[in-house]
Amino acid sequence: MENIKLIINFLGQLLPAINITLIVSVSSIILGSLLGLLLAAARLSESVVLRVLASVYVSVVRATPAIIMIFVVYYGMPMLFNDWFHTNIDGWNRMYFVIIALTVLFSAPVSEIMRSAYESIAKGQMEAGLMVGMTPFQTLYRIILPQAFVVALPNFANSVINLLKEGALTFTIGVVDMVAKAQMIVANNSGGYAWQTYCALALIYWVISLAIDKGVSQVEKSYQAKRKTIAV
Amino acid sequence: MSLNTDFMVKVAQTAIQGVPVTLQIVLVALVISFPIGILFALIRIYRVKVLQRVVQFYVSLVRGTPIIAQILIVYSALPSLLNMIIGRAAFAINPIYYAYIVFTLNAIATLTEVFRSALQTVDKGQMEAGLMVGMQPRQTFWRIILPQALISALPNIANTTLYLIKNSSLAFIMSVKDITAIAKTEAAFNYNFLEAYLVVWVYYLIICYAAEVVFYLLERYFSKYRRPIKKTSGFNWLPFRIKQPKLERKQS
Repeated sequence: MENIKLIINFLGQLLPAINITLIVSVSSIILGSLLGLLLAAARLSESVVLRVLASVYVSVVRATPAIIMIFVVYYGMPMLFNDWFHTNIDGWNRMYFVIIALTVLFSAPVSEIMRSAYESIAKGQMEAGLMVGMTPFQTLYRIILPQAFVVALPNFANSVINLLKEGALTFTIGVVDMVAKAQMIVANNSGGYAWQTYCALALIYWVISLAIDKGVSQVEKSYQAKRKTIAV
Repeated sequence: MSLNTDFMVKVAQTAIQGVPVTLQIVLVALVISFPIGILFALIRIYRVKVLQRVVQFYVSLVRGTPIIAQILIVYSALPSLLNMIIGRAAFAINPIYYAYIVFTLNAIATLTEVFRSALQTVDKGQMEAGLMVGMQPRQTFWRIILPQALISALPNIANTTLYLIKNSSLAFIMSVKDITAIAKTEAAFNYNFLEAYLVVWVYYLIICYAAEVVFYLLERYFSKYRRPIKKTSGFNWLPFRIKQPKLERKQS
């Protein structure tokens, strides 16, 4: 009982730090999706160079541990900017480095998901759209994307949860997110109540991922229903 | 860019001592979690009353929390727990055992899901056919169902392994001396973090690609029975080959 009370108490202390986690996650989801879209387009394009570049990028990023990516971006980017553009970015908010690293990490799986979703739509759909006099862009926007979206959704949610979990490494470069906050609380208690604090931390993450899961399955269900009614 | 190349060579030489540690963590986690994952998957599939709920809860908990939180929980809770049981000796335990525990717990959760979906891909008729020819349910499972399920699970097992390899880089938080930890301590002397991490990055790339190649070969080997005996699709080029194939060649 004592422990549960402690955990609830720590939950209250940790929750204010959630906005850092959310800012980092949401902005890297948005940027990463855009980058992933570009990558998917590159992998589907006719130019061999673009295809090879994109696939090399994806396979390298997929094999990179999140923490190494964060560290390389954090230590490497200021150096790169210093040498190439002669600008000093040491003073940047450290959150930007995390967002960049997570964007890169997120873009690789997302590009794969988008590509496979696009390829899963039968080619006849595109042809039928062109056939009835739609422009290629219209066909893509109105026919292909809505269908591909449903296919991609479960995997996309999975990647988002993964990103959220990788985002927990933000604390390694000194951004005060929830994990850093938890460590501070433990330090303030001079090492006491450590596992209760970390349990509270895990609980928060668990609730967020459960919420994402539930939300996505809800959206999926609604789309499935729509599809059925059209089919009948 | 002015990278300190001498330092990079030095880090490359010292960090290689961490490679066995990383591989050890990954292998131990995989080997232990393999049978348990199959067991848990069976519990989920056959809907064993209470246990099913427990497994579901466990899987969702482990998959929904960052591995860093799991590491912190285990690393803060276990030593004091052991301290109560075996006394002072608990603090002398090599931290790699905690790493084993964390990554095994993590791998069990992922592998449970992997095996669950893999076992469900095997057609029910296979089981019925096995029973039909007089095999026992257990025999049918071991000899007919499981081999087929394992093959369809291989790509996902490869993914799990890659995740484990990547996540094992977090073992440095538990002061395990793996690749990342060694590079970090080396770099801390002169603040050459970038060079050290670039080296580590290359190591992880090599390990991950090696794992991918191993799994690719395994998959090719085990899915032999699936491939068609003769290439049936496309145009038959065989008569036009300059080098005629032997008549009784081994099917590959």
